[in-house]
Amino acid sequence: MKQLLVLFISLSALSLQGIQAQSVDEILENYFENTGGRAQWEALQGVKYNAKVNQMGMEIPIDIVELKSGKQMTVINFQGQTIKQGVFDGTVVWSINMMTQKAEKSDQETTDNVIREMGSFPDPFLNYKSLGYTAELMGTEEMDGSECFKIKLTKKPLIVDGDEVENATYYYFDTEDFVPLVVQSEIKSGEMKGQMSESKMSDYQEVGGLYFPFSLTQGLKGQEGQVISFEEIILNPEIADSEFAFPEDSTN
Amino acid sequence: MKQFLLLGVMFLVWSAPNTATAQQKEKQLGDYFGDLRARHIGPALMSGRINDLELHPTDPRILYAGTAGGGVWKSNDGGATFNPIFEEHCQSIGAVAMDPNNPDKVIYVGTGETWTRNSVSVGDGLYRSTDGGINWDKLGFDHSERIANIIVNPQNSDEIYVGVLGALWSDNTERGVYKSADGGATWNQILYDGPATGCADLAMDPEDPNILYASMWEFRRTAWSFNSGGAKSSLYKSTDGGKNWKKIHNGFPEGKLGRLGIAVAPSDANVLYTVIEAEDQDKKGLYRSDDKGESWTQSNNDFGITVRPFYFSRIVVDPKNPNVVVKAGLFGSISRDGGKTFKELGTMHSDIHDIAFHINNSDYLYSGTDGGVYRSWNGGTTFEIVENLPLSQFYHISVDDAEPYNVYGGLQDNGSWFGPNAAVGGVKAAQWTSVGQGDGFRVLKHPTKRIVYSEMQGAENVWRYDLDKGLIKTIQPLPKKGQPKLRFNWNAPIAVSQNQPDRLYIGSQFLHKSEDQGESWETISPDLTTNDKSKQKQEDSGGLSMDNSGAENHTTIFTIAESSLDEKIIWVGTDDGNVQVTQNGGQSWTNTIANVPNLPANTWVYHIEASVHDKGTAYAVFEGHTRGDLTPYVYRTTNFGASWTSIVTDEIKDFVRNLQEDFVNPDLLFLGTEQGLYITNNGGKSWSHFTKSLPPVAIHYIVLQKQTNDLVMGTHGRGIIIIDDISPLRNIGEEQLASKLHFFEPTGLVMRDKSYGFPESFGTETQFVGENPTRIAQFKYLLPKRHTFGKMTMEVQDLEGNKVATLNPKKLKGINTVSWNYSMRQPKVAKGKTLAFGGFTSPRVAAGDYKVVIKKGRDTFEKVFRLENDYSTNTDPAYFKAKYELTMQLYNMTQELAYMVYQLDALMEQVKSKRIKGKLQTLKESLVITTGDNYVGAAEPQLREKMASLYSKVAESYSKPSPNEIEYFEVINDRFLAAKTNFEKLEKKSKVDLSTLKSYDTFINE
Repeated sequence: MKQLLVLFISLSALSLQGIQAQSVDEILENYFENTGGRAQWEALQGVKYNAKVNQMGMEIPIDIVELKSGKQMTVINFQGQTIKQGVFDGTVVWSINMMTQKAEKSDQETTDNVIREMGSFPDPFLNYKSLGYTAELMGTEEMDGSECFKIKLTKKPLIVDGDEVENATYYYFDTEDFVPLVVQSEIKSGEMKGQMSESKMSDYQEVGGLYFPFSLTQGLKGQEGQVISFEEIILNPEIADSEFAFPEDSTN
Repeated sequence: MKQFLLLGVMFLVWSAPNTATAQQKEKQLGDYFGDLRARHIGPALMSGRINDLELHPTDPRILYAGTAGGGVWKSNDGGATFNPIFEEHCQSIGAVAMDPNNPDKVIYVGTGETWTRNSVSVGDGLYRSTDGGINWDKLGFDHSERIANIIVNPQNSDEIYVGVLGALWSDNTERGVYKSADGGATWNQILYDGPATGCADLAMDPEDPNILYASMWEFRRTAWSFNSGGAKSSLYKSTDGGKNWKKIHNGFPEGKLGRLGIAVAPSDANVLYTVIEAEDQDKKGLYRSDDKGESWTQSNNDFGITVRPFYFSRIVVDPKNPNVVVKAGLFGSISRDGGKTFKELGTMHSDIHDIAFHINNSDYLYSGTDGGVYRSWNGGTTFEIVENLPLSQFYHISVDDAEPYNVYGGLQDNGSWFGPNAAVGGVKAAQWTSVGQGDGFRVLKHPTKRIVYSEMQGAENVWRYDLDKGLIKTIQPLPKKGQPKLRFNWNAPIAVSQNQPDRLYIGSQFLHKSEDQGESWETISPDLTTNDKSKQKQEDSGGLSMDNSGAENHTTIFTIAESSLDEKIIWVGTDDGNVQVTQNGGQSWTNTIANVPNLPANTWVYHIEASVHDKGTAYAVFEGHTRGDLTPYVYRTTNFGASWTSIVTDEIKDFVRNLQEDFVNPDLLFLGTEQGLYITNNGGKSWSHFTKSLPPVAIHYIVLQKQTNDLVMGTHGRGIIIIDDISPLRNIGEEQLASKLHFFEPTGLVMRDKSYGFPESFGTETQFVGENPTRIAQFKYLLPKRHTFGKMTMEVQDLEGNKVATLNPKKLKGINTVSWNYSMRQPKVAKGKTLAFGGFTSPRVAAGDYKVVIKKGRDTFEKVFRLENDYSTNTDPAYFKAKYELTMQLYNMTQELAYMVYQLDALMEQVKSKRIKGKLQTLKESLVITTGDNYVGAAEPQLREKMASLYSKVAESYSKPSPNEIEYFEVINDRFLAAKTNFEKLEKKSKVDLSTLKSYDTFINE
């Protein structure tokens, strides 16, 4: 009931003062309240997403694990094989090379940047101030037919080719229900550097009292993206540390 | 779920007071564009005009190109490739500048091209980004039209100077030099000399930011003349940050001056260069000062230095050497002796507007031309083009009915071309074919033959190019006996008839008609213009420098439209404001301009669209920007011009050049404006600006391709931009908007077999690649609101409701498009050590009736459709049947093998007998690869790999299985059956209970 009361107060305030009167923190509070409450989000220790990528007849099951400790991995299932990509054990980022089927460490800069992101689970906005991040409301913009608050989140700088660069991400929160619909950020390295990436979220559903988007479309801004559909989201999964560890002999 | 429902109620209550506003807003078509978006196909091989190049002061990887009509582009890789960073704002750019104190983040963009040719676009003010170009704020100067320079004080970021060139076609007071002392919050006009004189160039002393140099230029263009120069053209200096200015003409030629460029040597603040346009031809040219402008000496007046001052008055000095100076020009010139002598820069596109020296090595140069950005690595001797700047500036375009259809068009200073709208791997430079020289304008394909008509400026040449025979002939009409000189517009109109394929029209002041592809011409009108002699003195044009390029030819016909419903009805519009119509094939003409209300006299008739729905209906688009009138003018007549009604609303913000009518819905119209596309679906009662992947670029011409319903736009700065299949816009009305989900008719239901070949693998890494369309099945539906909460799924099912394929539904408010390549899921493949790549093939379903089913919350929506085979490739239905059946046999066999291996693995884990285990292992090794890797360590293929390869080979073929394939299938099948028998025997012998394993169906569908 407490949650509803907070929501009611915030909505009343909104209708009186108008959209622009919202501060970043009010928007974020509404977001967390509407999606399960700050306490529940803070208690979350990890999430496992059982997903499917479906592209023109090609269905690829993917499991994504993210833990509060920062550990994470993506597991692709091909023809009975499990191929791990983007695994982080807290120190090292590694992936299976598709050619040799053996584990290889990523370049140190990538690893350093992943380490810099530690602490942002489950949501970088949850404790953004204590993480040293800043959040700025840039105004409202229409996104895919919905009026949105545009919030710039600036995290710890990234290191790109040896230099520190600003690590900014733009979130578009629906002004009606305060969930993020679109996230954009500039690609900082590689051949796509300078272009804007874009993720779109939908199909928000409740899991254990928290709301998650069950559909995620990722691609370049303004272009057709790749859809990832989450079939199941498991909270606080039991994952052995060994699953994240860099395999010295990864032949499987 | 409880929480969500409660939330829903709360929102309902909360939003109630706003209902009226919301409903009012929902009537705008633009709210429902959904995922309808534009794709860009370039081309970039001719690129387009560059106005300004700027290099980051400390990071040599970063440079910016401010382009004449295609926005601002940023390179992060030293000019190898560029990305656009100014997509939501005016695309005509005058100047780009970084704050030298924060160059990574703070970037200024002044809009409005400053090389003031006849086709120049119009800017709308000054912008700033404080995050490296991701977000932009407007800093005013709304009516400045053209900004030439922006300089931030390197010692104080709050102090900003802006040189405003201002309006080209009219007086205005928002010009001269401006200064802000508070970071752009407020501005003071610190140098102004009347409404006809603007700041053409501005420079700051590299050591003392209080010393400024400003070139003021008196200039004016009309549609029929150009004047450069006057008593007010001057070079000024201030030594107190712009409070006081003095003329610094000591050593300058006597008399009136024209456009002056000014540059200070970065490595020696005493050394200045100016290029002077003067009355005395001998006194024009480059002048040098060695005392900060106090005195000047003429150093050179070669052609390369004095040519076309309005177009080339830019000087750039090597940052490390005050005696190395580059002058923009027709070819560009470089001096290494302090401006005394010059040599031409190396070969590149002509018309060089700006040069930038690399910050660390002056051997490296970047050049901005009428044909894009070039790089030199040897001090300007040889140049290579940047290949991914699709800045092409089309005047006119057309399309054909080929598959894939081609787009034809003419470009500013870049000839005439055609290229496909789709190609394997995307549309690249190699796909474009040149079909004309000079400046290109109208390019039209013969309606039935492989013949292309093209032209160069002023119809000096009109070509008929027989593509099959490789024969080219010039066919422009010549004056007949007793006829006066023919006056052709710079952009002379040509039209092909939709009624008689060999018929061709060309307009001078007369309308010329040919019935034999331009071999002979008949004049079918009197002079249809005002024939105002005062607007026909082009040889006097230019001001201090004569400039009779033909660009100012006036009192000419500019647009011709023969009705597709009646060949006797022909509309003609002239650049001096006449709208003429004949209903008897030219025997008599009626000038209807007096019937057009609220239009200034002699406003340029830019386009007339003869309706395809009704003989008496036409649209006329007028364009007054060459008189300083930026008002949009669009009118409709339904009675052959006896009366005209404006269909412009306040929603249209810019002047208009073109209109395209839909073939099906007479109320659906498309407008090409100076800043983008507007669409109405109610005959012009309201208009919506279309901005999805479409920057506010000048759109000069629009066509609707008949077979695909693609809206194809010729832009003047971003090449060809296409919105694929606009047919859903025909059917968005109250009824559709009231539905929870409305299905439009699906498209692409013929399962094409035709391939466009193989893409090249390498050699085009840094090229622009035009995006291909989607020509597979597309399911389109309208959602009244974005889907955010709850599950939404989409499937293709057979008519009995069995799932055939899973699709990813889109969830946007408005139109949503979901594509399907007619495939079901790929087969489940047996687990092996490595991957069987053939198993990644998804088989195509059989032709027949299906339905697409969307489940959204508790609601289910269905649309039945029929898939058809492509009989243009195979004519025998049995071919398709044979291919489908063998494909599915192999598909099922592959899955059965996968299950067998799954069982076998379980058996091997549990079986106790070593002998049986050994036999199982031998069997397994014959079924799947158990060693090696996915590259050169690959093991010998086994049954799984061979089966998958054959499956893929058959499934991906366009034809029925070959005898060889069928024979090989028997080999695979026999081996599979033998393996199956062997496995069943071993399973029995092993006495292991496999009932706890997953069932076949569970295993296959997991």
